Amino acid sequence: MLDDEMAFFGRDKCAVAGIGQTAFARDSARSVLSLATEASLAALADAGLTVDDVDGIVRCESDTVTPYTLGAALGVNNLSYWGDTGPGGVAPCMMMGLAIGAVLSGQAKTVLAFRSLNGRSEARLGGAGQRLGAETVGGFGTYDEYFLPYGLLTAGQTFALMTRRHMLEYGTTAEQLGAVAMACREHANLTPHAQMQSKPMSMDDYLSARMISTPLRLFDFCLESDGACAVVITSAERARDLRKPPVLISGVAGGAPPDRRVGMMFPVVTREDMTDLGGRRAGETLWKRAGIGPSEIDIAQLYDCFTISVILQLEAYGFCAKGEGGPFAASGAIRRGGSLPINTGGGHLSEGYVHGMNHIVQAVRQLRGEADMQIEGAETCLVTGGPLPVGSSVVFRKAA
Amino acid sequence: MGVHPLFPNATDRETRGFFEAAAEGRLVYRACNTCDHALHPPTAHCPYCGGWDTDWRQAKGTGKLHSWTTVTHQIHPAFPAPYTVVVVELDEAPEVRLMGHMDGAPDLEPDMPMQVWFQTLPDGPTLPQWRPAT
Repeated sequence: MLDDEMAFFGRDKCAVAGIGQTAFARDSARSVLSLATEASLAALADAGLTVDDVDGIVRCESDTVTPYTLGAALGVNNLSYWGDTGPGGVAPCMMMGLAIGAVLSGQAKTVLAFRSLNGRSEARLGGAGQRLGAETVGGFGTYDEYFLPYGLLTAGQTFALMTRRHMLEYGTTAEQLGAVAMACREHANLTPHAQMQSKPMSMDDYLSARMISTPLRLFDFCLESDGACAVVITSAERARDLRKPPVLISGVAGGAPPDRRVGMMFPVVTREDMTDLGGRRAGETLWKRAGIGPSEIDIAQLYDCFTISVILQLEAYGFCAKGEGGPFAASGAIRRGGSLPINTGGGHLSEGYVHGMNHIVQAVRQLRGEADMQIEGAETCLVTGGPLPVGSSVVFRKAA
Repeated sequence: MGVHPLFPNATDRETRGFFEAAAEGRLVYRACNTCDHALHPPTAHCPYCGGWDTDWRQAKGTGKLHSWTTVTHQIHPAFPAPYTVVVVELDEAPEVRLMGHMDGAPDLEPDMPMQVWFQTLPDGPTLPQWRPAT
């Protein structure tokens, strides 16, 4: 346990001062470096800063653009801090942790955090892309040799196995999963840049879509997108003098579940309780660090690689009891006008899949009051990442 | 011309014993000789007691079905859809869950008894596989 002397001292000391993104598309027709550059320049302009102010860059380890290369492409002259984190969708929240660590320890003054991918046109995360052509898989410490040769190949199939368990143990239904997909879709319909903006979806549409990996259907899966997002983090004190109202980083925490297993995503299905996410442990730490609890969260951007991941995170972060995520989602609580509107730009399911980073951009927009589907009076926002094999989380707060 | 199956890399220093045993028609799992805890996926070091005295143990080859998914959207030519991935919990060591591949969309029930069998891939390694016990 942390003693008092070692307690988290970062609460509300740093802020997001700028946000930027590219268009989200099926084919950007551009390099991921160009996308990262555009999003970064937009974030700096939004903050009222220039590339000359940047001295730190952090990224997701899945990104093919390195901090050094992005700095070179931007024309950053004073790069003195950089860092990688992950894995995958866990990264964006952990990037906030890297950034505030750098700022509070004096290693950087202005940190750019980014994620850039051509997730549809070049490197499809949900496909067999990198495995096509491989004759031998796994080994080298991946533990994939226990899974891939059996045809367990993707995140979607892994979440399908978890969904089956949640259905068997708690009676979770397809309609409850559909409630998550529909909430995100409704929010996307009110968000002009969302990839599904012009496509309303009914429960019939959801249920009649083709099965992909039982019990998950097409719209249980997030989009595959080309696009980039970037945010600028600096001290809260400095952010107050910049162009936009600062959005404070109140707390950040990662977490691993008690039943730890080696390896990456697939071994999660060997856990005694495969639907107990690392996010539960992340949440326990996060609420202490941020000094608030789930009942004080106005809106949330929950990592929605699949509908089931939203239901599991509603439970993990304490918005409802274990097993009650399905009824909670179906109650309307997660929709606009509900007690906890989630994924208020449409999320990964309907806005675009920028591997968690668009959730951070959306949180900042909401707390500034400049979102397309603005939730009136929103002052606190939870953002989560992950959710396999570990969880990550941030509480953002509107500056007083 | 047939599609090449995905061979497991059977040379990893932590896991190769599993595939060496399978090639001999035996199902094994890793366990700690000091505290008796099963270690899966396998590691040479036991995180439960901190010891290094771990080894492969012979499994009975029976288990129960914990979860499954029928893949209807094909993403790899080596695995024509539909097929079903089963997750089987070993009877004597429920901490150990192993995967199995079944053709099509078989009728399955949670907790149904499962039996191991061994599939030797053409010119390749052997995989322990699972089917409902008869």
